[in-house]
Amino acid sequence: MKTLIECPRESDVLDALSSQRWPHRVEGELVDHVAGCEICKDVLVVAAAMRQDRDTAWQEASLPSSGQVWWRAEMRVRQEAIREASRPITVAYSVAALAAFLVIAAAAWLAWPAAHELLTAAASVKLPESLASPLTLPLLVALGAILVVAPVALYLVLSDE
Amino acid sequence: MFTRDMTFTDVERLDRIAAEAIETFVMDEETFRAFYDRTARSVWSYLARITGDRSLADDLLQESYYRFLRAERRFDSESHRRNYLFRIATNLAHDRRRRGRHAISVPVPAENEPGALIDGSDLAADTERRTDLARAMATLKPREREMLWLAYAQGSSHEEIAESLGVRKASIKILLFRARRRLAAALGGAAAFARSRA
Repeated sequence: MKTLIECPRESDVLDALSSQRWPHRVEGELVDHVAGCEICKDVLVVAAAMRQDRDTAWQEASLPSSGQVWWRAEMRVRQEAIREASRPITVAYSVAALAAFLVIAAAAWLAWPAAHELLTAAASVKLPESLASPLTLPLLVALGAILVVAPVALYLVLSDE
Repeated sequence: MFTRDMTFTDVERLDRIAAEAIETFVMDEETFRAFYDRTARSVWSYLARITGDRSLADDLLQESYYRFLRAERRFDSESHRRNYLFRIATNLAHDRRRRGRHAISVPVPAENEPGALIDGSDLAADTERRTDLARAMATLKPREREMLWLAYAQGSSHEEIAESLGVRKASIKILLFRARRRLAAALGGAAAFARSRA
């Protein structure tokens, strides 16, 4: 046997509830029907409980004003749009930092023969002559710059604003 | 914190971009405020009851309206707009549940809550009734709670429920029947019916 899942009188029950006629100002025939109809009985029990709870919830609700909600939404969309638009600037800074790093690395690489010579000279205790080399100063500057710029460049690349 | 200098051109450009983003909202401020005033209580009550957590409902309410404003779509009618808002709210509640931040709880109303003062004549009975419903609701599946609330607390039609929950309209009837039967049983069935006639 197929189980009934709806009753044509459900809407009458809901009407009686919403117009606050149930149970005292409703036709006796509807009351009798509900008493004998499992579907309408469930509808009545559930709808009555939920409507009461809804009325309570409406009273409990402590809502922000529409102006506050609009203002917060406006602030948020503004921040998101700015963050989105700032992304190319961040990329440009990162590229510039990387380029600077590469230039310094290239300078260090070009100065490497002199550095090697210097180190060899240092190893053979010819320190005074090596320090007099014309490439010693650029080499030291390049190495120093790497030490200073590399952390900054890494910070720029990895930082989130 | 390291900050980068911006030129006036940068600031002007970003301001213009922000203003353009605000123009993409689905409605202007006046229309939104009227719509919010018409719907916020229903949305908050829905969120509070399906999550069982009022503070979570506060958060999700704000987020629901924000996402609604940013929705890239046009609405044919007030009903369509409203159903879409409930759909956003429902999805947000599901997301929170999935992330495990929130497990459904049984909110037991306190006597000093504003809601407990609506009917000064019978506070104890009112509190008991609400606690019973909260406990009964907590035994249902999330989808069942949502469906029952929309159908019986809000009076939504099957079509509206289908649109709000993203469920096929043809399935609503049977799902609603099962959910209703479970809740009625949890509420005490015949005893609850007898009380309703008192």
